[in-house]
Amino acid sequence: MDEYLVGVLSNVGVISFVALSAYLLLLTGEITFGQQAFFAIGAYAAGIATAMWGWTLAAGLGFGALAGALSATIVGVPTLRLHGLYFAIATLAFAEMVRILFEMFRYQIEIDGEWVGPNGADGFRDIRYIFENDISGMEFMLIIYGLLTVILAGFMLLERSRLGVIFRMIGEDEVLAGLQGVSVARYRILAAAIAGALAGIGGGLYAHLTTYIEPRIFDVMLGVHSLAYGLIGGLGTALGPILGVLIDIGLLESIRALSGYRMIIFGGLVALLLIVRPRGLLDERLVHRIGVALRGGRKMRV
Amino acid sequence: MLELHRLTKHFGGVRAVDGVDLIVNPGEVLGLIGPNGSGKSTTVNLICGLFPLTSGLIMFKGEDISALPPHERVTRGIARTFQNIRLFGQLTVWQNLWVAQNSAEQRRQNPVRRWFGGGGSAREDIGRTLEFFDLAHKRDELAGNLAFGEQRRLEFARAFAAKPVLLLLDEPAAGMNAEEIDQLDARIRTLRDTGMAILLIEHHVELVMSVADRIAVLNFGQKIAEGSPAEVQNNPLVREAYLGTATAA
Ligand SMILES: Nc1ncnc2c1ncn2[C@@H]1O[C@H](COP(=O)(O)OP(=O)(O)OP(=O)(O)O)[C@@H](O)[C@H]1O
Ligand SMILES: [Mg+2]
Repeated sequence: MDEYLVGVLSNVGVISFVALSAYLLLLTGEITFGQQAFFAIGAYAAGIATAMWGWTLAAGLGFGALAGALSATIVGVPTLRLHGLYFAIATLAFAEMVRILFEMFRYQIEIDGEWVGPNGADGFRDIRYIFENDISGMEFMLIIYGLLTVILAGFMLLERSRLGVIFRMIGEDEVLAGLQGVSVARYRILAAAIAGALAGIGGGLYAHLTTYIEPRIFDVMLGVHSLAYGLIGGLGTALGPILGVLIDIGLLESIRALSGYRMIIFGGLVALLLIVRPRGLLDERLVHRIGVALRGGRKMRV
Repeated sequence: MLELHRLTKHFGGVRAVDGVDLIVNPGEVLGLIGPNGSGKSTTVNLICGLFPLTSGLIMFKGEDISALPPHERVTRGIARTFQNIRLFGQLTVWQNLWVAQNSAEQRRQNPVRRWFGGGGSAREDIGRTLEFFDLAHKRDELAGNLAFGEQRRLEFARAFAAKPVLLLLDEPAAGMNAEEIDQLDARIRTLRDTGMAILLIEHHVELVMSVADRIAVLNFGQKIAEGSPAEVQNNPLVREAYLGTATAA
């Protein structure tokens, strides 16, 4: 496969994680502009683990996911009472705070005569795990898509489980969800933690894909895009945000003729869809209709 | 079963509920009537914990539940419907009923079954509920796509699916035609005969008079009368409250 295509697909795969992270919170009715913070935390944590502490890739990614989940839980508790605009602004402020903290974060050790580790605004270079272990770009892409498949399978299971239905209930009417016996606060924190873990894994993959991360990458635009992917692709299924990433990175950013107009087309698309299809292309109604059509004829359960 | 002691709720200067005492017994339908704005819906909102009380006490099965959050009251056996239909429109009829199964008994199911599609008995319960409320043919439809009358039935069905011991119905007949009201009447009787305690708020006089065992009347947040349907109907205070608002409006 062409190296350029492998690069584009790897990018699509990695960004899909942070898109799924924002999507999960959209399901519970929260608009966040801050998932890039957990992506950054996961990237730094995984990079430090493999490049500085000599951990394996799997352990590093797991550490990134854990760091994402823990920090998301810590932010989730105080923002529990915030909704709508207030929640969005709080998440944005937190993410900017994280980015600025990484600009000040210096933690380096000497390995074979070279200094390795995060160096403030200059970033964190030489996260060379995949070169040192002879993992090709193609193989790393397969790792990304392998993990993404597992996560998507998890989402498919979630959608069929009571937990997934509870998340959607909270998103639609929090008071009514409470009146079905659901402890809304507990589930909102759970959703935040899972979303933090997803962004954290994505960040870890990203750090190893590019071998170089710097705070500037994790700015508000990444958060806005992550949110927009679900809103464009649709909130009816976890494939929705992935469709959003494919449209943006797979088409607009990667096709030369379009890339100059990326922000214009993307922005226009978001605006248009918010008006004509507020819950995205693959919204709940469409997904439900497809589900009925696929099951069509088959005998009803029970 | 349910005892309200000097139940009071003020919104700023509005005394929405003002020192109401009320008892609902098992196997009994208590009708709660009163002119618009007399505090009926607020009373129900207080019983299920949507806002904190200004003062007073709510006793349920001998226990003070005044400070419990709504979801804990639900698990103790209190379920309700809303005056303005409130459903999860993006979920199917079946899902709306499935997640409502949250009584203490239902929570004790095998967790794997409970979290992934419901065990056999949970599914059977939903199946029976769908039959009882004449919604079986709509089982896989999104709740938001149902007709008005079906949505009203689904709301009632959802409250029933939680296996409550106390059911709070806030104007369940609003917007229904005569045939639908007859069916509603029959369903309320059937549930009462299973021993459920039912608090029925209703403007539809014929329905309340027919189905309620006792009736309490609110006016400006205060209870002005209580008794059998016949007693309440002939109470001069009640006539005045209704006529008073009729001329004011
Ligand atoms: N959340 C609230 N905030 C402020 N005032 C409220 C609130 N809820 C109810 N009220 C006020 O409390 C009073 C009682 O309202 P409530 O809805 O309980 O009346 P009701 O008896 O159910 O009337 P209706 O027959 O029209 O449904 C009204 O004056 C209403 O405006
Ligand atoms: Mg009312």
